[in-house]
Amino acid sequence: MYRKKLKSFLFLSVFLIALFGCKTRQKTDEGRKIAIVVSTLNNPWFVFLADRAAARAKELGYESKIFDSQNNTALETDHFENAIASGFDAILFNPTDADGSVVNVNKAKAAEVPVFCMDREVNTTDGATSQILSDSYSGCVSIARYFVDILHKKGKYVEILGLVGDNNTWMRSKGFHSVVDYYPNLKMVAQQSADFDRNKAMEVLESMLQAHPDIDAVFCGNDAMAMGAYQALVASGKADQIKVFGFDGAQDVVESIQHQKILATGMQYPEVMAYTAAQFADEYFKGRREFPRKMPVAVELVNQKNVSHYGAYGKQD
Amino acid sequence: MKKKIIRLLLALLTFGILGYNSLYIKKLDEVQTASKGFDASGFARTFWQHKLTPALAKATNTEQLLTHLQQQKEKTFQEYGHSLGLGNIKYFLSKGKGVVREVNETSVAIQVGSDTVRIATEYVFGNAVRDASGQINLSEFSNTMDLNNVSAELNKIIRTEVVPAFRKAVKKGDTVEFAGAIELNQKFPDLHSVEVMPIALRVLK
Repeated sequence: MYRKKLKSFLFLSVFLIALFGCKTRQKTDEGRKIAIVVSTLNNPWFVFLADRAAARAKELGYESKIFDSQNNTALETDHFENAIASGFDAILFNPTDADGSVVNVNKAKAAEVPVFCMDREVNTTDGATSQILSDSYSGCVSIARYFVDILHKKGKYVEILGLVGDNNTWMRSKGFHSVVDYYPNLKMVAQQSADFDRNKAMEVLESMLQAHPDIDAVFCGNDAMAMGAYQALVASGKADQIKVFGFDGAQDVVESIQHQKILATGMQYPEVMAYTAAQFADEYFKGRREFPRKMPVAVELVNQKNVSHYGAYGKQD
Repeated sequence: MKKKIIRLLLALLTFGILGYNSLYIKKLDEVQTASKGFDASGFARTFWQHKLTPALAKATNTEQLLTHLQQQKEKTFQEYGHSLGLGNIKYFLSKGKGVVREVNETSVAIQVGSDTVRIATEYVFGNAVRDASGQINLSEFSNTMDLNNVSAELNKIIRTEVVPAFRKAVKKGDTVEFAGAIELNQKFPDLHSVEVMPIALRVLK
């Protein structure tokens, strides 16, 4: 009698565990959550990137939450810890620092939460499930070629760099110099970081102009800095003499190119990157495990000749 | 007193040596772009000899390519275009023969059938030559900068080994054979100013 009872009890327990397990699994599949961790929301370009990622996640049926790292890796670490602890199932990630963000990616990997990088790279080959990145180098090769043409291969210029810890900063700079440095009469008289920030770029160019009032052009590592640089030029009365080049395809710069204030930019496609990252997360949930480690997204030169084809953030006619 | 001076000198020397060896000053961009352990130049040379040059045998005829692009844009991009990732920029490996119409500071214009293409002789930059054959495997590269350095090295080979002899020999009216990479924007292909990044050039006269 006792044995029979024990058997029934065991049978019932196994049945209940199986039933409970199935129910839990079903609930998890339906209620997947995606964290979108972005380096900064102080730049409209990243706001657009985050919003598009959230919109695509919603279209795919997932709840999402946007976290702003404020260009601070410590805050980014907090966001990752919160996301993991709160049960987010994937992270769409725009890193703050190529090296400094590796620890966060590895932390998510250890917790079996896949990370899909958008636009910015982390220096790890196996931490992120996939990295969808703008081909900044090629984009800046195109800008530089236009730069050389516009300046007739001679003149003085300054370069305003982005965050020194971000690979994009150096890809852009290196792509630009891979062309411009072949022209000895094009002289870079100053190079300084403004952290991809509009206000800092304005201050940086103001001080550069004190030392080098006779420059012909400014190459900026992003559009926010290009707008800051342009503001500094307007304030100093030199906006018509000094040519400004940016990179991103942000709304204000596309409009400035249309109004012949800024010469050119490199059009990135944040929507493509956000869409692909969210899509990859969806495919991961559905069982896909093989993803390209890196997926470059082409960048296109936008100048005063072809600007009519382009809208902000990669919209095309 | 003498001992004290010697001791002081020794202390200063030790401090100086320690200080000198513990402080290094390098340009920031040198540190950030340094690619440890990857020989871009060696990779480019091997790629050039063993993949790119043999691939030219299968390169699309330029005249046909331009005709196909005019008639069936989407299909031609899909069939012959290569790129490592997403987006509108695609690269084509192409070869042809034509008559030189103009030699200017930066390029050589060649009449190919009813079209004119320009062979770049100064602006040899970017990733066209690296990507046009479709033979670069992205997963072989852990660092994106390495991949870009391969392009820079391939372009260097062109600038130093392909272009100079051609520039020296070529003149208006010559018939030339060429093979190279063409970059086109899938959405807005400008077929009236097609530029070829040269990989092989020969003046036939």
